[in-house]
Amino acid sequence: MKTIQLTVNGVQCSITCPPAKTLLDVLREDLGLTASKECCGKGECGSCSVLINNEAACSCLVLAGQAEGQDIITCEGVGLTPNLDVIQESFVEEGATQCGYCTPGIIVSAKAFLNGINHIPTTDEIKTALGGNLCRCTGYTKIIKAVQSAAAKNNSKKETITG
Amino acid sequence: MTDNQTNPESFKWVGKRVKRIDGPEKVTGELKYMTDYHFDNMVWGKVLQSEYPHAKINHIDTEEAKKLPGVICVLTHKDIPGFNGFGIVVPDQPVLCSKVVRCTGDAVALVAAETLEIAEQALSLIKVDYEPLEVVADAELAMTPSAPRLHPDGNIHSQVIIKNGDTEKAFQEADIIVENTFYSPRQMHAFIETEGGWGVMDEEGFITIRCPGQYAYRDRMQIARSLAYNPERIRVISSPIGGAFGGKDEITVQIYLALLAMHTNGRPVKIHYSREESVIAGIKRHPFKVQMKTAAKSDGTLLANEVRAVGDTGAYASLGGAVIALAIEHSCGPYKIPNVDLEGFCVYTNNGIAGAFRGFGVNQVCMGIETHMDMIAEKLGVDPIELRKKNVYHQGEVSSVGHVVKSSVGTFKTLETAENCDLWRNREKYKTEVSEPWKKRGVSLATSFHGIGMGIGLPDYGAASIELLQDGKFLVGVGCEEIGGGNSTVYAQVAAEILNCDISNIHVVQGDTSRTLDGGTVTASRSTYTGGRAVATAAPNMVKLLTQTAAEMLNLPASKVTINTNYISAEGKKLTYQSIYQYLFDNRKTTRVEGHFYLPKEKEGIEGSGGAPHHLYGYLTHVVMVEVDTLTGETDVLRVVSIPDAGKVMNPQGLEGQTEGGAVMGIGYTLFEDILIEDGYHKTRNFTDYIIPTIRETPLIETFPVEEAEATGPFGAKGIGEVVMIPIIAAIMSAIHDATGARIYHLPATPERVFNALKSLKNKKTQSAR
Repeated sequence: MKTIQLTVNGVQCSITCPPAKTLLDVLREDLGLTASKECCGKGECGSCSVLINNEAACSCLVLAGQAEGQDIITCEGVGLTPNLDVIQESFVEEGATQCGYCTPGIIVSAKAFLNGINHIPTTDEIKTALGGNLCRCTGYTKIIKAVQSAAAKNNSKKETITG
Repeated sequence: MTDNQTNPESFKWVGKRVKRIDGPEKVTGELKYMTDYHFDNMVWGKVLQSEYPHAKINHIDTEEAKKLPGVICVLTHKDIPGFNGFGIVVPDQPVLCSKVVRCTGDAVALVAAETLEIAEQALSLIKVDYEPLEVVADAELAMTPSAPRLHPDGNIHSQVIIKNGDTEKAFQEADIIVENTFYSPRQMHAFIETEGGWGVMDEEGFITIRCPGQYAYRDRMQIARSLAYNPERIRVISSPIGGAFGGKDEITVQIYLALLAMHTNGRPVKIHYSREESVIAGIKRHPFKVQMKTAAKSDGTLLANEVRAVGDTGAYASLGGAVIALAIEHSCGPYKIPNVDLEGFCVYTNNGIAGAFRGFGVNQVCMGIETHMDMIAEKLGVDPIELRKKNVYHQGEVSSVGHVVKSSVGTFKTLETAENCDLWRNREKYKTEVSEPWKKRGVSLATSFHGIGMGIGLPDYGAASIELLQDGKFLVGVGCEEIGGGNSTVYAQVAAEILNCDISNIHVVQGDTSRTLDGGTVTASRSTYTGGRAVATAAPNMVKLLTQTAAEMLNLPASKVTINTNYISAEGKKLTYQSIYQYLFDNRKTTRVEGHFYLPKEKEGIEGSGGAPHHLYGYLTHVVMVEVDTLTGETDVLRVVSIPDAGKVMNPQGLEGQTEGGAVMGIGYTLFEDILIEDGYHKTRNFTDYIIPTIRETPLIETFPVEEAEATGPFGAKGIGEVVMIPIIAAIMSAIHDATGARIYHLPATPERVFNALKSLKNKKTQSAR
């Protein structure tokens, strides 16, 4: 067993667990943050995506020991029902979630992507950014729309602030 | 029916782009799926899967596994108190194998332990003495007399036959005959949530199973049968589901959870399959071999169709018999062909297990008849839409299987819409806009249909409850689970429309044997139609209850009472729903109403057809554009136009969700997806080698619904969940031909297969040039 310090959704946490436990299991079992899901356990599907120091990563491929001192954001950290993030709002408005099991991972990837750009992305840019997240229900069309409309909202907010 | 039910102009909720009611908790990840629950005193369950695809079991030794510290119990077939079998139609799959294993998905033993690691170690300590037997790896070979018999009645699980007219004479008189054999893949549902859940038994022996499933009441019956337990003492909670598509219709781990829960001293037990376990144990789509011979007159009139379809159902029946029956019922497309000779076989092998999957057998035959329609049009030099228009049946006409279709039929309108859509009208222009000189584009279309509900011979009903709650809101209860398609939102829309309240006043509970009535499955494209109609039947009862109670409270005749948006009034006096609840509660009166609905059925079945005909069908036409790389054989689908006839569209956003998701699943089926099994062993194990479409493969998808209202449905709605992925398969196949001249008969149309088809086409051309 090893004690690990990490920051999750802005909160400093101290976890005692086997060092080979995955970050995904630490989040789900030790911290009760179950938005991140295990689907393939191989880094193929993106259902377990979290932000590590603001970059999207598959938490099923990260061991607890590697998360020492890192800053982790899960889908719960992006926003909760009383105060949805713009991306989450757009996913609801566009109907970009169906069974919803892959959705938290996609929200996290979309958040990482939109954090890094200042324009309304093209369909091709979104396809590249979210290429690592599998969804079996939606056919992705509404996900593309939701990311675009979230970017548009972000931009108009920025314009309001700067203007 | 009230006024607002019959006048679409006045609808507030039905037919509108209402946002999903479960959206917010899904986009934040706050919604708990079954495997998200975690308890401090919880134990982990694991399933020992068979080492061999076909073997005799001589002995199972669990002693060492039981001795491992941290192991709570190890169970085998000897620990099953009741019937050791499950299966929706014929329960021929053992819960835990005793004498023989028939596929690597077979379960032999169960373990519960303090940690997942201990449970895994315990599995490795169970010694099973197997005697390997000859493996039956091919469905055609399985039907020969020399093949080892996998079940007491032989390897043919079921056979269906439909015959009409005189095919022999028709083939003699025909001007054109096309004949081909089609092979289709073993598609995996690939739901993102693998099978799992938890079970617990309380001090009084009451068992609760939380496990995603497509029919809580039937799951409960199957659990009770194996436990020899009173079903009333079992609660099954089956909703929400992280994707199913038919793959969670059959029992998955529910019985294992219940058995283990009986041996863990009241501690909750959790099973959550890894993807590898799910790939091996989970059911798949039936691979088919379809031989088809179709005849037409020179004017394009279809004369005859002969079909022989063989479906590989793997080791156990599950819904295989029904899949083959549905395939045969739909094997002639939505056309009127007077002479047909159709035969289907559902065959046992040692290739895993096949069962229900979106489309339910129709996918595999649609690719045959629609490819033939395309070939006939090509040979006759007629427009493929005109050919189809000429042969489709209309409402009130006789279908190819010989019954008068009494319900709504939208095929003709979907074809007209296809004819007028931009992609079809401007196809020649779009085809020239290739992205590279060595790439070729093709545009084609296909049409299909799909039965809604269970067909003849099976009970088919819907039920819903509506309860007035203390806070003045309504709780709508429907058995059909929220599988992802958005039926919860549809139920809320129907209730809000009839109760004349805001949708935020409606809560929906689904898939819970303690809180919802038995209303049948969430399969067969039936849950909007059946569940929606049940809610639409319950809601007027609630209106009546509210009206009568208000009249009683105000001491006025019920005729004076008006239901306004979110409140009730009579002669200037206002009543809130809270006050009505309080009055009913204080007077010990019920606050709950029910609605029941029996699906209309055909009166006469077709003998030997295994359940045909259905009373009701949904229809859809797809137009697609592909681009084929002639150097690599790689195919991209660039554009899709989906034209469904779903009856009245309840929620356009939800409908698009189905048409877009179905189209992409159809693209995966046609181009990439196949679970490879060799000699009974799975070669495909995870998403590392099972490729499903990613966002990069998503084409531009447009949806143009044709609303052919169905009188028996809620507000005129029909079902759509399956047909959305069917015609696209044949449309892509024909578009590859339109682009390159090569026909594909074996799916998936991988780059290798397309490349080889192009090569042999080239060889043929070279030879004929000599």
